[in-house]
Amino acid sequence: MAEQISDAIEVREGVDRETVETVQNMGSYKYGWDTEIEMEYAPKGVNEDIVRLISAKNEEPEWMTEWRLQAFRRWQTMTEPKWAMLNYPEINYQDQYYYARPKSMEVKPKSLDEVDPKLLATYEKLGIPLKEQMILAGIEGSGDTPAEGRKVAVDAVFDSVSVGTTFKDELAKAGVIFCSISEAIREHPELVKKYLGSVVPQSDNFFATLNSAVFSDGSFVYIPPGTRCPMELSTYFRINAENTGQFERTLIIADKGSYVSYLEGCTAPKRDVAQLHAAVVEIVILEDAEVKYSTVQNWFPGDEEGKGGIYNFVTKRADCREARAKVMWTQVETGSAITWKYPSCILRGEESQGEFYSIAIANNMQQADTGTKMIHLGKNTRSRIVSKGISAGKAQNTYRGLVSMHPKATNSRNYTQCDSLLIGDQCGAHTVPYIEVKNTSSRVEHEATTSKVDDDQLFYCRARGMDEEEAVALVVNGFCREVLQALPMEFAMEAQSLVAISLEGSVG
Amino acid sequence: MLNIKNLHVKLEDEDKQILKGVDLTVPAGEVHAIMGPNGSGKSTLSYVLSGRDGYEVTEGEASLYDHDLLDMEPEERAAAGLFLAFQYPVEIPGVGNLTFLRTAVNAQRKARGEEELSSGEFLKLVREKAKTLQIDAEMLKRPVNVGFSGGEKKRNEILQMAMLEPKMCILDETDSGLDVDAMRLVAEGVNALRSPERSFLVITHYQRLLDHIKPDVVHIMSNGRIIKTGGPELALEVEKNGYGDLLAEVG
Amino acid sequence: MADTAVLAAQTVAAKARPAGTALAARLAELDLPTGGFTRAARADAAARLEAMGLPGARDEYWRYTDPAPFNAPTADALAYTDRESTLFGGIDRLKLVFVDGRFDASASDALEGEGLEITTLAAADAAGDHWAADLYGKLEASGQKPVKRPFAVLNTLAAVDGVLIRVTGKVSRPVHVMYRRVALDADVTVHHVVRLEEGSELTLLETGGIGARSNVAMEVELGREARFHHIASKRADDAKVGIGHVFARVGEGALFKSFTLSVNGSMMRNEGVIEIVGDDAVAHIAAAVLGDGGEGRFHHDDTVFITHAAERCESRQVYKKVLKNGAHGIFQGKILVKPGAQKTDGYQISQGLLLDEGSQFLAKPELEIYADDVKCSHGSTTGALDETAMFYLRSRGVPKEQAVVLLVLSFLADALDEIEDDRLRGDILTRLDEWLTSRASA
Repeated sequence: MAEQISDAIEVREGVDRETVETVQNMGSYKYGWDTEIEMEYAPKGVNEDIVRLISAKNEEPEWMTEWRLQAFRRWQTMTEPKWAMLNYPEINYQDQYYYARPKSMEVKPKSLDEVDPKLLATYEKLGIPLKEQMILAGIEGSGDTPAEGRKVAVDAVFDSVSVGTTFKDELAKAGVIFCSISEAIREHPELVKKYLGSVVPQSDNFFATLNSAVFSDGSFVYIPPGTRCPMELSTYFRINAENTGQFERTLIIADKGSYVSYLEGCTAPKRDVAQLHAAVVEIVILEDAEVKYSTVQNWFPGDEEGKGGIYNFVTKRADCREARAKVMWTQVETGSAITWKYPSCILRGEESQGEFYSIAIANNMQQADTGTKMIHLGKNTRSRIVSKGISAGKAQNTYRGLVSMHPKATNSRNYTQCDSLLIGDQCGAHTVPYIEVKNTSSRVEHEATTSKVDDDQLFYCRARGMDEEEAVALVVNGFCREVLQALPMEFAMEAQSLVAISLEGSVG
Repeated sequence: MLNIKNLHVKLEDEDKQILKGVDLTVPAGEVHAIMGPNGSGKSTLSYVLSGRDGYEVTEGEASLYDHDLLDMEPEERAAAGLFLAFQYPVEIPGVGNLTFLRTAVNAQRKARGEEELSSGEFLKLVREKAKTLQIDAEMLKRPVNVGFSGGEKKRNEILQMAMLEPKMCILDETDSGLDVDAMRLVAEGVNALRSPERSFLVITHYQRLLDHIKPDVVHIMSNGRIIKTGGPELALEVEKNGYGDLLAEVG
Repeated sequence: MADTAVLAAQTVAAKARPAGTALAARLAELDLPTGGFTRAARADAAARLEAMGLPGARDEYWRYTDPAPFNAPTADALAYTDRESTLFGGIDRLKLVFVDGRFDASASDALEGEGLEITTLAAADAAGDHWAADLYGKLEASGQKPVKRPFAVLNTLAAVDGVLIRVTGKVSRPVHVMYRRVALDADVTVHHVVRLEEGSELTLLETGGIGARSNVAMEVELGREARFHHIASKRADDAKVGIGHVFARVGEGALFKSFTLSVNGSMMRNEGVIEIVGDDAVAHIAAAVLGDGGEGRFHHDDTVFITHAAERCESRQVYKKVLKNGAHGIFQGKILVKPGAQKTDGYQISQGLLLDEGSQFLAKPELEIYADDVKCSHGSTTGALDETAMFYLRSRGVPKEQAVVLLVLSFLADALDEIEDDRLRGDILTRLDEWLTSRASA
């Protein structure tokens, strides 16, 4: 049946049976369990002592502690931005834990048996293979055994702490550094000093400044000149502890002529109290280098009434610092109660290129304000934005973007396509693009549409035996096709399922 | 009349040589065809002769009568009697076909020191010429080429040719995208304009257009040069054996 | 955006000064009328303005335009050319002349016409009661949400004259408001009120130079099945500073159309606030703008807000700006579809044509949509003249300068097409063609 349809109609394009099956088989928030692991907490609230404590726990050198304190002092003078189309209760920044880590990490386990089994179970639920689990659990020596199947090096951040990185040795052979940022601060201070805060300055915005002060861990990547990273790199973020803010910091440096594809996945347990997440990702791309950064963000979105969920305030920026540097952001944002996120590209080098592909789904009481900034500074720079926003339930979904062509960015191009889909008459879809063209030889094109799920397409699917929810999932996946295609294979599958799951309960 | 000597042309932005020494003479009243495989430089030749940006002449010359074409602006070349029928005629929304034609006709008359046509004279002339090309009044009113079918666009090109009365007409792949009937109509339009004072350079990939517009001379172009010149029988040979044999023969 | 917001906050901190001071200084220079039928509206405006203050750099809606020239207590003296406006000269129309913002009865036609009740604000405001009391300052006040428009409030507070038109039938003769400038530093505030009763129709034309600095507000209410056509042509070339407001409330099955032509010489901000409140209504607002920054400053800002609060309605925003020599063109347009405004068809196009380096086109085309069964879209493009089209024209013998004129007209065509009447559109087109051609050959 499904196959006959796939030949017959357009809505089937880019969608497979799997989507439909996923809808049928899966529960509502698959990753909504929490893990009872003994945790070590710093006291609630944030002050200079907490900042020093985080720095001390990470065994950081003095310069790093100072850098954090400088950010913290700056942060105290700043106010939370309110321009986004987001409504949420006032956040009490002193009522959060800023540091939490599994106790079992204090002493390295010798074998899997010694690892807190609940931690292992967590990784299993996250779908991380056993071999990788061992490495992530920090079992000594496990990093040397070759793993079977596809190779993706993983750095897992559990609450505030990186719990392990896989394939480190194999990567090291290629000269690639992939480790937690805390390790990088200790082992590669020259790189961190040079690049940390060089793309997202300490004082960039309220949330990034807070992150600069209190980030507890995150991932660090350095790809040496002329190197194609031998495997995809991946970070899994999970917030587990209650009342804990997560502030991870990622720094990626692609040196001249290098290439890396980086995947980021996020989950969090169901909790009825909202949790804060304020991450910073900085990417530095030098001459002829290319970075692909893909995110599947599936933080707990809160329940149907809008209780709980993650408040996600993220600053991500790539700096195409030299000629022909290239970055591609792909994001699938299905989770979080509040999303405030604008992965951006600074196109400084001549002929550099930035791309942004995004799917943002907001259901129930979710609110998303997300988009990108393309700052064209260099000559002959190119950018492309494809944004697909889906609103359902009582959700509000906003695309906010900036395309800026500076006077010196001659002969540059931007193309923006930004489509919104509404499911139900209680939700909202909004588009707020800023287009600033300050030179003549550049060309900027922006198109946006807003519409509802096509009745004819839905009817066609239902006439072929699908129920309404299946039909909607199918049509929505078709709507998102262009972005799904931009994702690496494994992520694309996951994303497609997520699209279906996120829309559950949106119909009827 | 049209005289091309040792013409070398490269792309302005790229280090890519397209024409590598083209020699060609088209005397008054003759119809010459240029045939050749894709990428041989045929369309580039037509663009360079009519003055499109993006090309750089590195060597050689091209003249129309006593005009040195390569030193002239595109509109000066048009006023001197050169006409290019585009492979892909350009759409200009918001500008009526009649306004466009009248602006062009009068600009050329003015450039040649002739008196501009009055509205009445102009309309009479357009209607007369449009009729033979089966272009109706409605098509004349529409914006230039906007919403025109492939055939309508090409007929519109020939209407412009008829109105502007050039001395040297270049037809760039005029047969592309046309069905048999449309091609016949276009060819009839062209044939009606043949005269002892007017020459044609017909650029085409296929022989079929030459069934309708009989050439006096056929040139084969390959890799930026004219590699063989002959009579109409050369086109038939291409039709029968393809370009492969010819190219091999020349080496 | 994150860093922009931070930047804005810093700018505010640097420029901060007590808002009351600037407003007080601004008001001190005005001769505020006490008003007759407008008295309550003016008092309300005074209170609202006091609460909102004058705009500053922190205001999102003043992101691309510095409000300083409008905030300044007085207008700068600006030279202008004294010439009669001949536009629409061949059309039978009812002429109303305003000199430095005051009605000149001797130069105007008699205030009468079939299907019309027409008077001036100054004359009517002497009396205590008038039909316009239901509208004066009312549409303006409801257009203050969610965006503050202090200069519109100021207009309600300070307007001395204007025209009040009540349309009861189909008016075949357009009403033509002809502005004339005399004083070099004329600081003009004009407020028009138009009510179209059920099934009525009116065309309103506005031409000429209003003043060195002008603040014009027009409130228009369209009853059921009413039709309103508005065509404004700003005086070309003369230096001027101006802010204009159109507040329209569009009833069931009604049609609202507004077109503005602006050519050179301006520091101009036009705010269009249209609320569609009746089902099956249509509202179109369009502008064709040509600016040469080399002849004095050229800064042209169109800020449009269309609200759909009814079902099956259509709105269109068509903005085209041709800019050169450091001219700045701005478009901020928004379509708001309220919950329940199903079957809305909303469209917005903003395009900048930059003829040389140094010019800027800044656009913020927004959609805010709370109903699902809608079709809304916007497009925005910015770029130079199409080289292929340019070559095509030149290969037909059209000289470069003339080809530019044709392509500029081609670019503006969609906006001009929003003028429904062939003769009025023809007049505008001829004027535009002449102006472009005279510039091209100069």
